[in-house]
Amino acid sequence: MIEKIKEILANHKDISGYKIKETTIHSNELFFVKKNVDMDRAKRVHHYNLTVYVDFTEDGMNYKGSSNTDIHPTMNDTEIESAIRETAFAAKFVKNPYYPLVQPAESQQASALSAFAKESFPYWMNEITKAIYKNDIYEKGGINSCEIFLDKIETRIVNSEGVDVTDTGYRCMIEFITTWKEEGEEIELYRRIDCSDFDEELFAEEVKNMITICRERAIATSTPALKTASVILTREAVKDFFSYYYSKSNAASVYNQSSTWKVGDQLQGKEVKGDRITMTLDPFMKNSTDSESFDSEGFPLKPVKLIEDGELKRYAADTRYAYYLGVVPTGNIGNIIIESGSKTIEELKKEPYLMTTAFSDFTVDTMTGDFCGEIRLATYFDGRTTTPVTGGSVTGNINELHHELYLSRERSKDNNFEGPAMIMLKNVTVAGIAKD
Amino acid sequence: MKTVGSEFLTRSKPYVRKLIDLLSADYKYVSVLGTDTRGKVYRISKTGTEVYDAMLAERGFVVRLHNGVNYSEYSFNEIDEDKISDIVSDIKANIHKVAKDINTNEYVILEEEELTKQFFSESEVDPVSMSPEEIIRALTEIKELGCSLSELVVNFRAALSFTRVSKIFLSAKKDLEQSYTYSEASMFCVARRDERTKYYFDGFSGMKGYEVIKEMKEHCPRIVDQCITGLIAHEAFGHGVEMDMFVKGRAKGAEYMGKQVSSSITTMHDGAKAANHVSSYLFDDEGTLGSDTTIIQDGILKNGISDLLSALKLGTAPTGNGKRQSFERKAYARMTNTFFAPGTDSYEDMLASIRYGYQIEGLYSGMEDPKNWGIQCIALLGREIVDGKLTGNLISPVVMTGFVPELLQSISMVSEKVELSGGGFCGKGYKEFVKTANGGPYIKAKVRLG
Repeated sequence: MIEKIKEILANHKDISGYKIKETTIHSNELFFVKKNVDMDRAKRVHHYNLTVYVDFTEDGMNYKGSSNTDIHPTMNDTEIESAIRETAFAAKFVKNPYYPLVQPAESQQASALSAFAKESFPYWMNEITKAIYKNDIYEKGGINSCEIFLDKIETRIVNSEGVDVTDTGYRCMIEFITTWKEEGEEIELYRRIDCSDFDEELFAEEVKNMITICRERAIATSTPALKTASVILTREAVKDFFSYYYSKSNAASVYNQSSTWKVGDQLQGKEVKGDRITMTLDPFMKNSTDSESFDSEGFPLKPVKLIEDGELKRYAADTRYAYYLGVVPTGNIGNIIIESGSKTIEELKKEPYLMTTAFSDFTVDTMTGDFCGEIRLATYFDGRTTTPVTGGSVTGNINELHHELYLSRERSKDNNFEGPAMIMLKNVTVAGIAKD
Repeated sequence: MKTVGSEFLTRSKPYVRKLIDLLSADYKYVSVLGTDTRGKVYRISKTGTEVYDAMLAERGFVVRLHNGVNYSEYSFNEIDEDKISDIVSDIKANIHKVAKDINTNEYVILEEEELTKQFFSESEVDPVSMSPEEIIRALTEIKELGCSLSELVVNFRAALSFTRVSKIFLSAKKDLEQSYTYSEASMFCVARRDERTKYYFDGFSGMKGYEVIKEMKEHCPRIVDQCITGLIAHEAFGHGVEMDMFVKGRAKGAEYMGKQVSSSITTMHDGAKAANHVSSYLFDDEGTLGSDTTIIQDGILKNGISDLLSALKLGTAPTGNGKRQSFERKAYARMTNTFFAPGTDSYEDMLASIRYGYQIEGLYSGMEDPKNWGIQCIALLGREIVDGKLTGNLISPVVMTGFVPELLQSISMVSEKVELSGGGFCGKGYKEFVKTANGGPYIKAKVRLG
């Protein structure tokens, strides 16, 4: 198909360049209700996505128009010709400043080999199932339902400059609901695990953790009306928190006015009381679904440090936005590493705190820095006793709080994120629900 | 103008029929959903222009069959005369391969009635007929207008997307076909004062064509909307009555059927036939005809919404709510057009009745909790009301949390006019994004703000 698309493109003299992304996905899926399989699914699909570029000059300015379309494998020659003609026509009216396309690289580092490559998918679906249900052993609670997806994804990117790169990756996604019932209502919580390699201990432990969290929520009392508190974020909220730094340090955000960050800025302010943030992007992080040798443009990737001790050292930039801002491209990398902080978790817990374990949905607005979440489970320490609490919400703005944040020395990993296990923020607004 | 059907699906029908025939030799129920969805997105901002395929654009097939115990599915996107036997072999090699020591739930074989139907939607101006040049020019005008509104505006984006959905559903007894077009136009404004950045967005959508651009031009900028009523309807009870949750024992709503769950002045609907909006269709992704379900009638919880297999399990009638993100994904019980019915109060009377409060607008996000009836909704803006008047003071963002029955039972006034908005996508948890419309009239309610 790629050769056919290239042949048709060659007849369109108005096209300056192109990029074709070919993806083949082979997938197996299992859907459980309690411990029983309710449905199974398999998938074998083949996708082609074409971007065409048209360079033109107007009033002395150079522009690069582009437009993008899917070319389905079931399209006949007339349909492909029509899709390319329409896409090229639209690209002529897209008036973006000129930028170069990715050039071929001499070499690219290969991605790590996944265990999923070594056996059949039915074998792995069975192994994943056994690991997930290993700790579902309690009378009062357990797994209510579970969905397991395992994909093999083969990618090839070809462009008009001679880029022709291929990679094979695996994507495992496990979504499960755990429940627990004490005297009152049955409590449930949601968890999703994403990974690219088989890790029996991770699957089994995470189920055990979620059942424990459910049990805690079942006996939790209402969150007190604290107004403000030192809040310790844990688990997925830590990863979500750093999505702000990831987004703000991206060249596209800067160019599109979503970020005002400049290289050399002290991001946490001039007077930092707590820990300073150091952030690196690593395209080869182990067991991450975002690990890849090249980005979606075919640009070869390597690790890059963006923020060091709270100072923005460089932008993350694909070829287009790097050209616009006059910086060296890094390609788009999805894996984030944050360095640890100065305090142990034990030290963070010495003063009164509200430590969040589960939110309804912890939301970080990556443009404004606003964050919020309804508390499904937290632990409140008033200086003497610790109590599991539920209800109410935590809200704040990262810009206003990150001059004093503390990162734990202990670390955690969640798919494409590796960093401190906990973050403590001071003076966070807590809307409690306790009557008194 | 009537939406044109898919030539691809028409020419694929004989192959699909042959596939069904071959599989029927080994499996007692076989159906195939075929999709050919096309669409484009145009986004014009101060800093760039983008043209790309719509999010739900796709072309492919999904086979569902009864494997002797329960149902299996197989998704694929290559078919012709030569490939049919390979597809059959691949299906047999890949489905129902669950290890023997893992238990399975049993489902009975679906019994269908003969049904042949077609549906082709109407729109004023077919967006496919519009030149990209014309669309980009119209959006550029709106973008220029937005940029000129204030010196504080650092970026403004105007966007149009249109999606032409074409589907066929074939089984031993069913032959269904539909094509419909929905369009969405939106504006997104970023403003900055010193280092403080805020944004706002608004959208216009419906089972419409290019005419949504005209609506956006006429209403740019508008100051109030009713999308938050829709968000509450969606998160509070929409997800809570998706009946696949009943099968899993994940919905508290199952215990409350026939009971008071909301104030007596509230009535809530969902259904492909309940409104003419972005989720209006003839049949769902399991070949069940769409309907109009009354979820809450005068405060009493009456009905849930269901996909086909949940209805089979529960012994209820399917409501035509079995929807897939794409042919590559499983069907779940999902919302369509979900809204509170109109009341009798005027907006002016509602505003005048509030001594201190906020008018909440601008949908940002929401999260369901069907088991424990918590609710989290985030809105872009709250306009302060003091002594029945808007003071001009704003808060942003606004986090609303609470217990669903408390919120719904606090509804004390409902306005006369219903508006629906279909600009976003609805997920099940954090995946399976499908198109839904939500809305209603203005409602006056008590809710905790964070």
